Amino acid sequence: MATDARTLELRELVNKKYKYIDRKWDAVFWITAAFVVGAAADITKQLFAGDWDFWTDWKDRQWWPIITPFAIIIIGSALQYIQWLAWRFPTGMTYTAVAMFLATLIGRWIQWGAFVYYPMNFVWPATMVAAAIFADWVLLKTKSFVLTSIIGSMLFAFTWWVSNYVPLAPYLQPAEWMDRVITVADIQGIEYVRSQTPEYLRIIEHGSLRTFLGETQYVSLIFGATVAVAGYWVGQFIGRALAIWPIGRFMKKW
Amino acid sequence: MLRRYRRYLWAALVAGALVVSSALPAQAHGERAQEAFLRMRTIGWVDVAFSKDTVRQGETFTITGTAKILDAWPTNLAKGNPNTGYIAVIAPGPVVMLKERTINGVSAPSRIDIQKGRIYEFSMTVAGRRTGRWHVHPSFSVKGAGTLLGPGQWITVQENPDGFTNDVKLVGGGTINLENYQLTFTWIWLVITFLIGLAWMIYWTVPKRTVTNLAVTSQIPLNTDGMAYGLITKKDHRNMNWFAIGTALLLVAGWLYQANAFPTKMPLQVIQFAPPQPAIAEEAVFAKAAGANAQYDSATKTMTMEVDVTNSGSAPMELKEFTAAYLKFTTGTTAGPGVLVAAPQATVDPGATTKLTLTMKDPVWEEELLVPIGESQLLVTGIMVFENTEGKRNLTEVEANLQPRFE
Repeated sequence: MATDARTLELRELVNKKYKYIDRKWDAVFWITAAFVVGAAADITKQLFAGDWDFWTDWKDRQWWPIITPFAIIIIGSALQYIQWLAWRFPTGMTYTAVAMFLATLIGRWIQWGAFVYYPMNFVWPATMVAAAIFADWVLLKTKSFVLTSIIGSMLFAFTWWVSNYVPLAPYLQPAEWMDRVITVADIQGIEYVRSQTPEYLRIIEHGSLRTFLGETQYVSLIFGATVAVAGYWVGQFIGRALAIWPIGRFMKKW
Repeated sequence: MLRRYRRYLWAALVAGALVVSSALPAQAHGERAQEAFLRMRTIGWVDVAFSKDTVRQGETFTITGTAKILDAWPTNLAKGNPNTGYIAVIAPGPVVMLKERTINGVSAPSRIDIQKGRIYEFSMTVAGRRTGRWHVHPSFSVKGAGTLLGPGQWITVQENPDGFTNDVKLVGGGTINLENYQLTFTWIWLVITFLIGLAWMIYWTVPKRTVTNLAVTSQIPLNTDGMAYGLITKKDHRNMNWFAIGTALLLVAGWLYQANAFPTKMPLQVIQFAPPQPAIAEEAVFAKAAGANAQYDSATKTMTMEVDVTNSGSAPMELKEFTAAYLKFTTGTTAGPGVLVAAPQATVDPGATTKLTLTMKDPVWEEELLVPIGESQLLVTGIMVFENTEGKRNLTEVEANLQPRFE
């Protein structure tokens, strides 16, 4: 099939050599933006879902799967829009996940570990990397933000839960303590003193959720996936209205 | 000009360093920040004792005492009706660990149902964890009100030359060290997922240009991947499919691993119950206090309280101590720190009503900001501990109007 002139022109433009713009620009951008993106994503997560991410004994089967995917998908969605729009890179969510993981890890290690000496197996951060890969993959395949918001977000929430349930599982084992049988995570929460967080402030499942045959976990996952769709569009608003639109006001062509 | 700004910058850096380096370490838990009447009208602490003040890592000490939710509980806290509480330990982080807790003789791992006027005898076994000298308090947290501190003590935790573990017994068998249980596996898992994400990013950002793509993407619709122009190729699609498949397989492998390695799991637990009342709560009430007034003399650092005390029992009773917030004054004959002098005498005969004058000469009232002059409620509230000759004890609440002296 004959290729039209415009296609050829754009192909040439993809490979064009610029006099003043070389790969150093790319490196500077990706590396410096990682600090901002990581910080933004970590702060957003802490504001909405902080305690659920800080402690193993907050990672329950009702609130944790509902609140955390919503909190962490927002900035990733904004970056997805920006990076797809600007470069056709299906990397926004994964870039956010990688940067946020580094920011969270450093924060957890220094603040919770070195400064106040909480054991790391009590305060390990959840990961969103695997979930982000699937969300970016869905964008690559569908090329549609609407479809990504539905399929990608739901896949994101579910994958996020699976990828964090694996490291959480050992702490859900029953243990004998104070004449009771409670989980290892519960023991961590009680033994490792949290002076300003009395136990009644722990927002976890109390058994009031009506479940299908006792399957609290899956009811919460489905609801969490739905809430993540809403979170995705919050991120899209941030990316479109707060990031791209202001730039477009100053650029002649976008 | 540049030299001038450089000088300003250096000056700012030096000033900042001086400010930061001259900061004193934090020495307390901010208990004085709470208003005096709040601290005194909420929880009364009696007989708080620490069994040791020096332990090694892993070695335990106990904190015992009695906490009473006063009938004078303010109506502006927890809507005047405290119903959920948590007795624990306040420390600068997990420098100590709570190993065991009983309330009114019953093991209490978590929160309890509470009621105004009730008494909670607690015993907490605490283990040293981080070496250093730490100020530790028992605490009573009340939902809707916050955390109220009891009397604190400095505890020194020394290094344990034999090492230190925090052992917990699993129901399925085996003992784990909670300090580092499964930490290696957790890190390996998080790092592997991180590396997959990093590989994804390297795939897209290293071989392909980023910034200059904008020249092309700005001319094509949003819902195209630019395959016709070489932005994304069929090979990219195939490689990303492999990434997704690989990630899915990793998750499946992880899921199967946790299902096999940890087959027995349960949800996080919520434990809440109302502990039984202690024996002292069932004792017959023989001591009553009413009509109290208090004065504070700043010049001599003396709090004086007058209170009408009635002994409705059949045996003489003696005032043993007075506590207010986390302060404790024991009956004695010579005024001084921690001493309460009762006039005309500490003993009240059966059937008698006596106006007792309690004199507490101690600068601690001012040091702990427990003299409520300048606050919206001029009240001094506390517990008078009476003991009769039959060995029975009453914890009698007293609330005195403080008459300020403005000079």
